[in-house]
Amino acid sequence: MHRFFRPRRMLRDAKQPLLWTAGQLCSNHKPVVTCVRGYIVLPPTNDEEEKAMLHRMMRVDHAGEYGANQIYAGQMAVLGQTQISPLIQEMWDQEKQHLSKFNEILAENRVRPTLLLPLWNIAGFALGAGSALLGKEGAMACTVAVEESISEHYNSQIRTLMEKDPEKYTKLLQLIKEFRDDEMEHHDTGLEHDAESVPGYQLMKAIIQAGCKAAIYVSERL
Amino acid sequence: MAALIRGLKAGRALRGLRSVAVQGTLSPQCNNVRRGFHRAALLRLASDSKSDTSVPPPSYHEVHTAGESSSSSAQGESSEGAQSNTSFQDQSGEHGEDYETEEQLQARILTAALEFVPQYGWTVETIAAGAETLGLSSASTGMFNNGAGDLVLHFIAQCNAQLAETLAEQNNLVQLGQAESKKTAEFLKDAVEMRLRMLIPYIDSWPQAMSILLLPHNIPDSLKHLSTLVDDIWYYAGDRSTDVNWYTRRAALTGIYNTTELVMVQDSSPDFEETWAFLDNRIKDVVNMANTAKQVQATGEAVVQGLMGAAITLKNLTGMNQRR
Repeated sequence: MHRFFRPRRMLRDAKQPLLWTAGQLCSNHKPVVTCVRGYIVLPPTNDEEEKAMLHRMMRVDHAGEYGANQIYAGQMAVLGQTQISPLIQEMWDQEKQHLSKFNEILAENRVRPTLLLPLWNIAGFALGAGSALLGKEGAMACTVAVEESISEHYNSQIRTLMEKDPEKYTKLLQLIKEFRDDEMEHHDTGLEHDAESVPGYQLMKAIIQAGCKAAIYVSERL
Repeated sequence: MAALIRGLKAGRALRGLRSVAVQGTLSPQCNNVRRGFHRAALLRLASDSKSDTSVPPPSYHEVHTAGESSSSSAQGESSEGAQSNTSFQDQSGEHGEDYETEEQLQARILTAALEFVPQYGWTVETIAAGAETLGLSSASTGMFNNGAGDLVLHFIAQCNAQLAETLAEQNNLVQLGQAESKKTAEFLKDAVEMRLRMLIPYIDSWPQAMSILLLPHNIPDSLKHLSTLVDDIWYYAGDRSTDVNWYTRRAALTGIYNTTELVMVQDSSPDFEETWAFLDNRIKDVVNMANTAKQVQATGEAVVQGLMGAAITLKNLTGMNQRR
C-alpha cells in the first residue's frame, strides 16, 4: 500500500536521484507508527512555525488534488462514452496517484485535512460535469484553466521553499516539481485537443481560474 | 541550589538587556529569543557583572538581540508556550547544566504546586506554596500572568503529554509484536479512562479547574489542549483518514470525553464505576451510529441500483431502448 509510486518517474528526473534511506525514523518527537517505506518527504522539524507552514502547504495541495480528482470524475461522468474518454481517463489516473501520494503524506505527518473537502467534492464534480456538457472542447478548456492555476500554485510553493532552504526541502521540492510537470503536461494536452475552440473560452478560463484562486486561498486557512 | 540562584541572577540580569515589548504569552517566534537569551546569559555569567537585584517585572518580554547569529541548533528547543516542560538543549556546550530558562522554572514551580491543590484548590496561593517548597519567595507568583489558569493549563498539558507517552509506548509494543492490538472501541475506552484517571487525585477541586478553563481568556488554550488530546488518541487508535471523517471522529471523541468528564466530577461510586460504565455506553453509541451510517449508505446504493434496473426494464418493455 505504501509502494513507491510511478517507478518510471525515477528515470525522468535522473539529475536528482531519489534517495532510499532504509529504516529512517521520523523524528517528529513522536515515535513512528507505520513507516514502511524509508522515504520521508517532509523534513522533521521542531520549529512550530515551520511545521505550520509545511502543514498548510500539504493541506492545500491535498485539497487541490482532491478537487482535480473530482473534476475529472465529473468529466468522465458526462463524456465517459465518447472518443475523448481514454484521454480523460489517463489524466484522471495520474491525478488519482497524486491524491494518494498526498493522502500518505497527510497520514504520516498528522496533517489536518481541510474542512472544506465536502465542498470541493461537490464543486469539483459540478465543474467537471458542467464543462463537459459543453462538449469535448469545454472539458479540455476546463482542464487547461485548472491545470494552469495548479501549476502556478505549485510554482509559487517551489519558490517559497527555494527561498527558505533548498537543501532541507530537497525531497519535497522534488515531489512538487514532479507534480507540477504532470499538471503542465495535462495543460498542454488540453490545448492540443482544441480547448481554445470552445465559445467563450477566455471568459470561461477567467472564471475558472478566479474560482481556483479563491479555493486555494480558503483551503490554506480553513 | 547554587545553580538555581545563579540561573535566577542571570535571568534578572537579562531583564536589564531587554527592550520592552509586553506580551501575555510567549509566541513560537521566541525561538530566536531563547537562543539570544542563552548567549547573553552566558556572557553575563562569565563576566560576573553586577546584577539587578529587584524582583523581576511580572510580564514576559521579548529579547531583542542585535547581531545574534541564529545558526545551527535552531531546533534545539520546542516552544509550546509557557506551560510545558521543555528539556534544555545546549547551544554552546559550556554552561548548559547550570542554566535553565524561565519556562522551565515556571514549569517546576507549577509542578511543585500541584501537591498543594487538594489543600488550597486551583488558586494563586497554591502556586505560592509550590514556589516556597522550591525555596523561592511566594512573590514569584508574579511571574504568572494568568494565575490559577497557568496552573490548570500546566496540569492539563502534563496529563496529555503523559498520556501520549503511554500510548506511544503501547504502540511500540504492538509494532514489535509483543502486545496485541486492541479494537478501536476498546482502545478509545482505555485511552479516555487512562486520561480521566489522572484527574482522580484532584477530583474534588476539579469543578473549580473546569470553571477556570471556561474563562474567555483561557478558552483558546484549553481548546488547543483538548484538540491535541483527541488527535493523539485517534492517531494511536490507528486513524489515518484524510477526509471529512477526520473531523467527525474527533468531534465524536471530544463529545465523549467532555461528557464523561462531567459525569466523573459528580460520581460518587467506588472507583468511579458509573463513569466507566457511562463511557462504555457512549462509545458503543458512537460505534453503533457509525455502523448504522454504513448500513444506510449500503441500503441506499442497493435501492438506487434497483431503481435503475427497474427503469431499464421499463424502457425495454416500452421499446424505448431500441434504435430504429
